[in-house]
Amino acid sequence: MLSLIRRYKVINTIGTLKITKLLSSTSTDDDIEFRVLQLMPPEKKIVSKRQQTVTEENILTKLRNEIPNQDWQTIWPAARSFHPDIVPFPLQQGYKNKEGVHPGKHGNAELLKIPNFLHLTPPIVKRHCEALKKFCTKWPEQLETDEACVKHFPVEVITSDYCYSSPTIREPLARIVSLRVKLSSLHLDTHAKDKILRLLGDRYNPETGMITIIADRCPTRKQNLDYAKYLLTALYHVSWRFEPWEMEKSAVDMEYYDWDKSKSRESLTSMYSWPSTPTDSSYEYIPHATEYKIAVSDLINKGEDLDSLNKYKQAVKSVLNLKFDDTVE
Amino acid sequence: MSLIPYMRSIFQISQNNVTRRHLHISTVLNKSRAGRYRPKPKIVQALTYEMANPPHYIASRKSWNSWNTSNVKDGNRPSETLVEDLFIRNFIQGTWHGLFLSEIIIKRQHNIIRIAGIINRKMMPGQIHFLIGYTEQLLSYWLHCPIRMELSSVPSKDVVYKYI
Repeated sequence: MLSLIRRYKVINTIGTLKITKLLSSTSTDDDIEFRVLQLMPPEKKIVSKRQQTVTEENILTKLRNEIPNQDWQTIWPAARSFHPDIVPFPLQQGYKNKEGVHPGKHGNAELLKIPNFLHLTPPIVKRHCEALKKFCTKWPEQLETDEACVKHFPVEVITSDYCYSSPTIREPLARIVSLRVKLSSLHLDTHAKDKILRLLGDRYNPETGMITIIADRCPTRKQNLDYAKYLLTALYHVSWRFEPWEMEKSAVDMEYYDWDKSKSRESLTSMYSWPSTPTDSSYEYIPHATEYKIAVSDLINKGEDLDSLNKYKQAVKSVLNLKFDDTVE
Repeated sequence: MSLIPYMRSIFQISQNNVTRRHLHISTVLNKSRAGRYRPKPKIVQALTYEMANPPHYIASRKSWNSWNTSNVKDGNRPSETLVEDLFIRNFIQGTWHGLFLSEIIIKRQHNIIRIAGIINRKMMPGQIHFLIGYTEQLLSYWLHCPIRMELSSVPSKDVVYKYI
């Protein structure tokens, strides 16, 4: 059993051998006295098991005394199960028995079960960091803040790696790639933005303004990443393209109320220039027309409530030049 | 045709057997016995910490003998891990016969399998070294992954937690 520990500490076994020799040869050393005639041969001393355990204990105590002076990294270089003869400090683990004694570190299976971090003590972690430092590059100065990072690297790719305690390194969930980009970082005009939002559907989050594309249909991560990048490129270019059928969009198909193209504007201009018909469709010369435009758009786009209705009432009154007190009604 | 009068009595017997149902109904014995050690008359039992704590103390007073991620949610290969652990336990019980004082603890860390335990000091170090190498080598061939035997040795009485 001694040599189990030998890989951490070479034990001077010669010393223990000498001790046992001395024990057995004490009777032959005395030359001064008369030699005794021994008719019966002297009894051979049987080295009892008790003595063996004593020397074993001696060696173990010697080892335990020497371990604190050694470098801990050489004693415990990597993760391994707990070993009571190597760990120099006293430990207890487990519920106390009827005598009120907690199990100590020797012969304690609970200490073997739990994972330990004795190979990752703070000085050793520091040493690991020092050793890894030469492989690291300096953080670029232009990317000090988060805003700068987002500005220069708008695309964010999220993947997951899985660690299992099993011989296989394959995990099907690791193939999923999600690509996130802010809509504002894409260069889009009004038409393209409207079109990209229609194409994206629920992949666009209006609260954060983020586009999230999740690709999981291919078997490997690289294929999925390529596919997500392709999707983003295709989205961008398709949204810029103006298809001929998009010309057929009428006022009914509009997703919001556009006053400039509405009947309300036509009526306002024709009313203002009555009885002659308006020559052009400009409305800037009509007093309070802008106020009226905003009030009507808000009323239809944002829905009817007390504020928008009051605003609309004021706008109509000022456009029609109805200047009487509010109290009359 | 002359057989029928004789057959009639046989039919009656079998009918009686069908009508009489051999079912006993009594209260159910809901007693947990597994993993619990009870005192025996005239025999003093020395229990280790593992034996002294019944199974419902797992995770509070004692921990598991197998450590792996197979049984976490969405963990992979749970059945394979279980069968492998059973195989390792059987193999070690046979190879290290009467040497283990504790249960065989199997801890998995990525693809490494760490087999820990406490053994007694009945064998010479040379033999123990041979057994460690033999076990590690054979198990790594069978399970296709590195195996580590991490043993500590104590005198037999050191693992005794209490006597009943």
